[in-house]
Amino acid sequence: MQTEPGAESPPDITAAPRRGRRWPLVVLALLLLVAVGAAVSLGMVAADQRDAAAAWQDRAVALEVQRDEVADDAVRLGEQLDQAVASLRTSEADVATLEDRVRALAEEKARAEDTASTVAVERDVLIELTTVVSDAAGALDSCVTRLFALQEDSVEAFNAAAADRQVDVASLNQRAEEVTAFCDQARTAAAEAEAAAAQLRRS
Amino acid sequence: MGAQRPRRQRAARTHPLSPRRALAAPLLLLLLLAACVEPPTEPLGAPERVQVDDLELPTVAADSRERRAQEVTVRVRSLGCTQFGLGSGFLLPGGVVVTNRHVIEQPREVTISTWDGRSLPVRVAGVATDSDLALLDLAQEAELPVAELRTDPVDAGEQVLVAGYPGGGAVQLTPGEVLGFVDGTVLGEPSEVMRINVEVTQGSSGGPVLDSDGRVVGVIFAIEVDARVALAVPVDILLQRLDTEVLEAPDGC
Repeated sequence: MQTEPGAESPPDITAAPRRGRRWPLVVLALLLLVAVGAAVSLGMVAADQRDAAAAWQDRAVALEVQRDEVADDAVRLGEQLDQAVASLRTSEADVATLEDRVRALAEEKARAEDTASTVAVERDVLIELTTVVSDAAGALDSCVTRLFALQEDSVEAFNAAAADRQVDVASLNQRAEEVTAFCDQARTAAAEAEAAAAQLRRS
Repeated sequence: MGAQRPRRQRAARTHPLSPRRALAAPLLLLLLLAACVEPPTEPLGAPERVQVDDLELPTVAADSRERRAQEVTVRVRSLGCTQFGLGSGFLLPGGVVVTNRHVIEQPREVTISTWDGRSLPVRVAGVATDSDLALLDLAQEAELPVAELRTDPVDAGEQVLVAGYPGGGAVQLTPGEVLGFVDGTVLGEPSEVMRINVEVTQGSSGGPVLDSDGRVVGVIFAIEVDARVALAVPVDILLQRLDTEVLEAPDGC
């Protein structure tokens, strides 16, 4: 279509309404696409969330089971501990009783050893005294023997003198002095033994 | 046609997408998305420790101060030239036994007995000339528990435990308190002696005085008859006398 220069061209009355009619369709199509995309995305998110929810639920169940197990363990261990404490208490009481018995036996043993020690000392003293007494008795017996011998010699000397035989008076006197000295020693030993016995009686 | 127009206009007016509603939809969607969570990734860990109340456990005798005191305290028997002595003592490392000098006067044969009945011969290592203390040596090696000596000074008011064999009987443990210190020179001691509100009898001489930790802080050697108070040589005197150079041989028969 030709127009004259300087004259205004008439507006294209057919193009504008066509573009105006297509624009909403495009927008609608885009919106539809967005909506479909969003729906698909939301569906995927929802699926993920379902899985997540299921996983959390599984964990919650597992935790519950674990809690119950721990509670059961706590109860069981508590019972075992109570039993252990009861056993320990009984054992300690038994130990205390046994220790009392051990102490009593130890005391008895110690006292028996005390007695044994003192008896041993007394035995030593008695042995010593017996030795002293025995020595004194032996000495006195020997004294008596020597006195008898001296008596016989003296009688023989008297008889010899009566028969006008020669008598060794000096030798007889010397023997008499020796026997006297020996008997004095024996008497001293006897006195010492008597004194030791008297001391033992006093102690 | 002209009659339908107002209805269409009304419908258009009643269902417009207002800005609030337009904003609510994405917000709701955002909230829904924000509420999304990740599934648990870490494995289930060990359960937390359960808080348990303190248990009322019985006292274990094996760990007690009393048991320790009983084990280190010994009965001392001395056959002298003219007398028979009974007393107490306690064991120290190296086979050393501490007792009183007056327990082993003119000793001919000295024996110790443990709380559980073991009898062991001992030699007199020496006696203190200025204190009622004597040291004995085990004649043969023996695995025996030993006491620990405390080096810190003892204060009045401290709680102590006196161990010994009163009357030559079984080992006896008596709790008491340090009342204070008195001049010991009148009793032949070089310094002050400890007063303890514990009644002791013959046979307790030489027994240890132990503090709350079971360490020896004194040695029983006498009694205030009127006050019924035990007297003990402080451990610092014992520590000085443990040096055998200041000890002498006991009198013979």
